Amino acid sequence: MTLFKQMALAVSLLILMILAAVMVQNYQTAKKDMLQSLYQMTVNNISSLSSELANNANKAVIMKSILNAAPQDKSATPDKVPAVVKSIIDAAFDSGYYKMIEFKTDTYSYKQEDNDPIEGVPAWFVKLSNLHIEPISTEVTHDWMSIGKLTVVGDVTLTYKALYKIFINLLYLFAFVSIISLIVLAVMLHFILKPLKRVKHQAEAIINNEFIIEEEEPYTTEFKEVSNAMNSMVRRVREIFKQATEALKRNKELQYNDPVTKLFNRRYLMLKLPELIELEGKVEGGVIMLLALDGAEHINQILGRQKADAFFYEFAQILKNATLINEESISARVNGTEFIIMLPNTDKENARHIAEHIQERFVELLEKNNIPQTQASLSIGLYRYKNTMTPAELLTRVDTALLHAKNAEQSNIYLYDDSDNEESLTKTQWRSLLEQSIQKHSFEFHFIPVKNIRTKELMHKFVSFDIIDQDGKRYSYNSFIAPAITLGVVSPLYLSVMEVLFNKYHAKLQHINYSIRLPKAFLEEENNFERVATLLEKQKKKVLKNLCFEIADSFALHKTATVLGYVDLFRKYGYALGIHSYTGSANDFSYLKDINPKYIKADAQFLLDQSQDAIASLQVVTNSLDIDIIATGVEEQNDVEKLQKYNIFIFQGSIADSI
Amino acid sequence: MKLLLSIFILLSVLLNARLISQDIEIKAEKKYGKSAKKRFISIQKDLIDKYKDANDTVKLEAVNSWVNRVKYDSDMHVYGVSDYWATLYQFVGKDRGDCEDYTITKYYILKALGVDPHKMKFTYVVYRDKHGRLLAHMVLAYLKTPHPKSKNDILILGNNNPRVLPASQRPDLIKMIKMINGDTGPKSKKWKKLEIDMQRKKL
Repeated sequence: MTLFKQMALAVSLLILMILAAVMVQNYQTAKKDMLQSLYQMTVNNISSLSSELANNANKAVIMKSILNAAPQDKSATPDKVPAVVKSIIDAAFDSGYYKMIEFKTDTYSYKQEDNDPIEGVPAWFVKLSNLHIEPISTEVTHDWMSIGKLTVVGDVTLTYKALYKIFINLLYLFAFVSIISLIVLAVMLHFILKPLKRVKHQAEAIINNEFIIEEEEPYTTEFKEVSNAMNSMVRRVREIFKQATEALKRNKELQYNDPVTKLFNRRYLMLKLPELIELEGKVEGGVIMLLALDGAEHINQILGRQKADAFFYEFAQILKNATLINEESISARVNGTEFIIMLPNTDKENARHIAEHIQERFVELLEKNNIPQTQASLSIGLYRYKNTMTPAELLTRVDTALLHAKNAEQSNIYLYDDSDNEESLTKTQWRSLLEQSIQKHSFEFHFIPVKNIRTKELMHKFVSFDIIDQDGKRYSYNSFIAPAITLGVVSPLYLSVMEVLFNKYHAKLQHINYSIRLPKAFLEEENNFERVATLLEKQKKKVLKNLCFEIADSFALHKTATVLGYVDLFRKYGYALGIHSYTGSANDFSYLKDINPKYIKADAQFLLDQSQDAIASLQVVTNSLDIDIIATGVEEQNDVEKLQKYNIFIFQGSIADSI
Repeated sequence: MKLLLSIFILLSVLLNARLISQDIEIKAEKKYGKSAKKRFISIQKDLIDKYKDANDTVKLEAVNSWVNRVKYDSDMHVYGVSDYWATLYQFVGKDRGDCEDYTITKYYILKALGVDPHKMKFTYVVYRDKHGRLLAHMVLAYLKTPHPKSKNDILILGNNNPRVLPASQRPDLIKMIKMINGDTGPKSKKWKKLEIDMQRKKL
């Protein structure tokens, strides 16, 4: 029961009691007054009646003698009562309000009485009020002698009627006043207790990681204190959250940024390379660009140290602007004179355009600073890589490309592309293979365990799949996903995979948690939202409440709105959402707060590369949002121990099973 | 339409307000037989319809003699109680009653005939019968003037005398005890009861 209801109940009971007491008091007073006045009236009447009887006393006496002298012969019951007495009493009784009039003498008595039930008033009311009036008696005297005794009882019928009317009126008044006071009470309580509702709202908001400061001060002193306390608490919690976020941001800047150019440094590039290479997109693989600045020492000499720094900063801006269109691209300064730009999902033509653009801008920059082109130059080597390559391979090849660029006579740009030479399936072949798999459901699922090594708890199983061709040859996820994206069959592929997973593996998956990745290309297609919704609606009855969908960190960061739509959809069916390939590239964590994923998966190498402080800061955020951190790609026992020192205990992959 | 409706309502009120309605004739026949019905028809036909334009004296004579044809009987015999004020319908229906019942019936018929009810008083008197016995009695008194100065100004309608005579010519009424109003002005308990019974047309 809420405080409002309790207070409303207590106060309304009190009001009702007070009203009832007033009513009873009122009624009692009225009753007393009326009986009193009835009594007074009867006293007045009896005195006039007795004097009337006394005035006729002589006749009464005479008549008595006549009666005695002439005995009745016709009447069955001899009537000893003198006619004048009878007449007087009848007249009085008939013309007034009496219950009973009786005149008693030594020889006769005459009585008029009304025993009719009281009409116009309900019987229960008669019983309840139980009016009682005493009979009034007086001696009727004439000439010093008593001739009889007169007794009169007043009639209470009118009193009952009047009292009943008062009673009914009081009831109406009672009802009216009750309703009015209850309404007033409700309104008052509503206003008095409003601050409490706001406090409740604040408390609920904190649970949802929202921080509301109540500006309006409540009128009631106690509530004012509660509200102030609440506000300061909310401020503190918000401060903690903010500090953690800022610490994380600072750490990232220190660790990954080149102080002069504000570009990423080599350390960061190395860390990101594996992920960038694997990044799925329309173009299989992408282009890595190595830019070498010759004549840096001349620039330093000509411009001086400070201006040279500004020159480098401006050069960095050129790189950034040139790659602006590609969200996933990364520009890094790998050493004093060398820069690397990673352009995932970029074909060689586009990459060449970017390189040429940079070259032009660089020449302009030289002119602006009055540096002769003979003193400084920029060479750019480009290498068109594929998803399956290692970072080392990339760096070697792009170095080769740069060598070519430096040696080239005409242009300082060289593109090295060996992908065409490689033996692989043609587009047509891929298309038929993928379409066949989608049709025949020739998928092979792998269930990769995710375990908490401390509690030995199996958190969930990550579901991946291969496709199998007619001859039984297996194609791994990494090999077919890029062609699938290029050919635009990711959506049917995934819808088909999910359907097979839900239907065929239903029994197997019923009792474990599991997760499946939704690739960027799938999420980007708007129609898929409806399709997923339909699919989930169809699966609703199977009660697979233990499913978690995974979305890449970069997508969650850049397309938060889209992801939030999915979050709502999943939540509707009781499914969760996780984030994979976490890189911490965001400047703030509001998207994490908004999406509120169940967990974030990050590459072990990334995690190990962080300082203890950075991890701790990240954990403040994730703990406050109740997000698990899961390390992926852990291969060595050594790494497991290091990560444990970072308070990371959940691992994905075979290593988790062996511990 | 509205006009029709209001006329209908007015008519039904008027019909119900009539002293003797067809309804009461049917009911009386059921309860007391054919002769009772005839008596009620007679009130309407022989008194109300016939004398409605006559002067008060003629009305008094006609009503007095018509009502006095009813046989006298005590309340104890007819109603089983010592004192009972019967309605006109009960009195005419049963064709029996005591002095008060005669007075009540005369009062209501005269009122229906258009005699001013303020002029008619219920009068408690002491009456000496032919054996010389004194009895408590009630008659209907008709005041010729609002404030009578002599016994000649008051006409007496009793059930013991077929004629309507001034009080001065009624030596058998040896003492007047009290005059009370009919259903005009403030009402006593008895009157209130009677009035309700009359409105209900208690038969």
